Amino acid sequence: MALASVVDLSFSYPGADRQALVSVSLEIEPGEFVALLGTSGSGKSTLLRALSGLVPHFHGGRFAGRVVVGGRDTRTSRPADLAGTVATVFQEPEDQVVLTRVLAEVAFGLENLATAPAEIVARATSALCAIGAEHLAERPVAELSGGELQRVCLASALALEPELLLLDEPSSQLDRDAAEALFDHARAHGCAVVVAEQRPELPLAFADRIVFLRDGQIADELPPAWTEQPTPPVARASEGDEVVRLERVSYAYPGGPPVLVDESLSLRRGEVAALVGPNGVGKTTLAKVAAGLIVPGGGRVLRFGSAAYLPQDPGRYLVTETVLAEVALASGEERAWHALEQLDLTAFAMRHPRDLSSGERERLAIATVLAVDPDLLVLDEPTRGVDPERKRELAALLRAQAPSRATLVVTHDRVFAMSVGDRTIALGSEAVLV
Amino acid sequence: MSAVPAAALLAALAFAALLADSIWTVAAIVLVLLVPCLRAPSAHRRLYLASVAISAGSVFLLWPWLQNTGSHPFWHGPIVPVLGELTVTREELWLAGLYALRFAAVGLASAAYVLLLDHDRLLGAASWARRSALSVALATRLVPTLERDAVGLVEALRGRGVEVEGARARARLLSPLLAGSLERGLNLAEAMEARGFGRPGRTRVPTPPWTVVDRLALAGALLIAVGALWL
Repeated sequence: MALASVVDLSFSYPGADRQALVSVSLEIEPGEFVALLGTSGSGKSTLLRALSGLVPHFHGGRFAGRVVVGGRDTRTSRPADLAGTVATVFQEPEDQVVLTRVLAEVAFGLENLATAPAEIVARATSALCAIGAEHLAERPVAELSGGELQRVCLASALALEPELLLLDEPSSQLDRDAAEALFDHARAHGCAVVVAEQRPELPLAFADRIVFLRDGQIADELPPAWTEQPTPPVARASEGDEVVRLERVSYAYPGGPPVLVDESLSLRRGEVAALVGPNGVGKTTLAKVAAGLIVPGGGRVLRFGSAAYLPQDPGRYLVTETVLAEVALASGEERAWHALEQLDLTAFAMRHPRDLSSGERERLAIATVLAVDPDLLVLDEPTRGVDPERKRELAALLRAQAPSRATLVVTHDRVFAMSVGDRTIALGSEAVLV
Repeated sequence: MSAVPAAALLAALAFAALLADSIWTVAAIVLVLLVPCLRAPSAHRRLYLASVAISAGSVFLLWPWLQNTGSHPFWHGPIVPVLGELTVTREELWLAGLYALRFAAVGLASAAYVLLLDHDRLLGAASWARRSALSVALATRLVPTLERDAVGLVEALRGRGVEVEGARARARLLSPLLAGSLERGLNLAEAMEARGFGRPGRTRVPTPPWTVVDRLALAGALLIAVGALWL
């Protein structure tokens, strides 16, 4: 008997002019690992929310069809009642943390499920051990890196010993090894797993079954763009003028250990460099130093021209009332329209930026820095929440604009790094390659 | 020291500062509360201490203009229509100092609560009012979260070549900060519901027994609160 069944499910959010899910039917067997893939805004997160009962109970909207999980109909069982049978790890780890210390955070769900007090700490600790995060138990969550926080969220879900684990883009902030470990842990736990992802390589390697969503409907086939390896650009030594040079740069955040020690880097106009490396190795710090947002404690930075920097999770940092105004803020309307066109966002020009999906926000944020037309463009994880088809378009756009500037892309996404970069700069395990 | 006796001590000191009539007593309480606040990491305490200093300073500066008491003029100002002659008396200054110090004491007690206490333990101890305690615990995280978001916003704008300078430019960030915080609040509420929050019959992690220091601290808090009635 199926653990979860979705029967002819259609759903629209309140006030939405189109359906987020259209006649979706799906069955999930116990212990099955299902990869839920799909373009940005295709309804992946909505389907996960339907499986946890949050759609329709938390979000409202028009709901037709039926979802049954562990024998309970989600129309009559609230999400809190389904908790324990179902556990969810959401897209933004920072937004799902309730308490201040890791162990208490992992124990929070167990307390809600009325677990015997004597068992709570043991189960929370065991969940942390299962994902190799027991050393974090007494740490304040505010001090954790994005990757560590992601693991704590997974431990919080695993501690509930669910039959169905729902993961919404769990590897968006993780390096390849950490993402692999996370999927390993989820798989080893033995429960059924449904993982929604924009980076398909790992889910494709782990999953028993692929479900592909497009425009709220299950598609018959996976589009080739999701499985094909990109063709790397022809690597070439750039002969353009030097745009930025970092010489033996060091940096430590106040009260913290050194993040960068004697790192050097040079970027020339016309080249696109991909900066890769494991979590916490200082990629973002190096990128900020290159863009002039951080003054290094030691060493020298020479910059010849203007710089623009796109931070991680830029969808949080939108300040105006319309998409057009957001892009025009630093560049004027003419350039803004051009940038929106390049990112295929003109249809959203008069929408509020916060009404866009996470992938659309990411593209909007990219438009805000492209419109500035800087000599040095630094993008920090620009493909988070962006589907492979859009990533290809973004890579092509960055390649097409490469001659006019130097571009540094910080990314965990190896496929994107390969498709966009003339060269790869590995920080951490390997020295920075100048 | 456990979180509950520590919170009781802070509350008792704030209570005593509000009841005490002697400016020297309130000043002593302010100094006592300043000590733990200075133990917090400087990056965290800066915003709280600055807020307390600005608020208390504003109370001190504004109070004499809102009062008309005392018979020992310290300064005579111009005659303003409707209000009459502006004067500041020594008594008004004394009262302004007292109220500013009371304000500072309550502010520092709140800062110490936010910066130093283990809110998880406090929440664990709140067996009969968990929802309210959780709301307070989440509210105390609002200031650091907003501070972090504001830093991120300014940095993101600088990354686009937009410098945020001056009070007006910073004030324009309030709306996106509020929108971001509402969005974050909705996401958190959703995650809490998905983790079973609100189900009946919840249990809690056993808390460690109180130590002698904890008992002494609670007794001290009671003594301060009762003693304040005679200060």
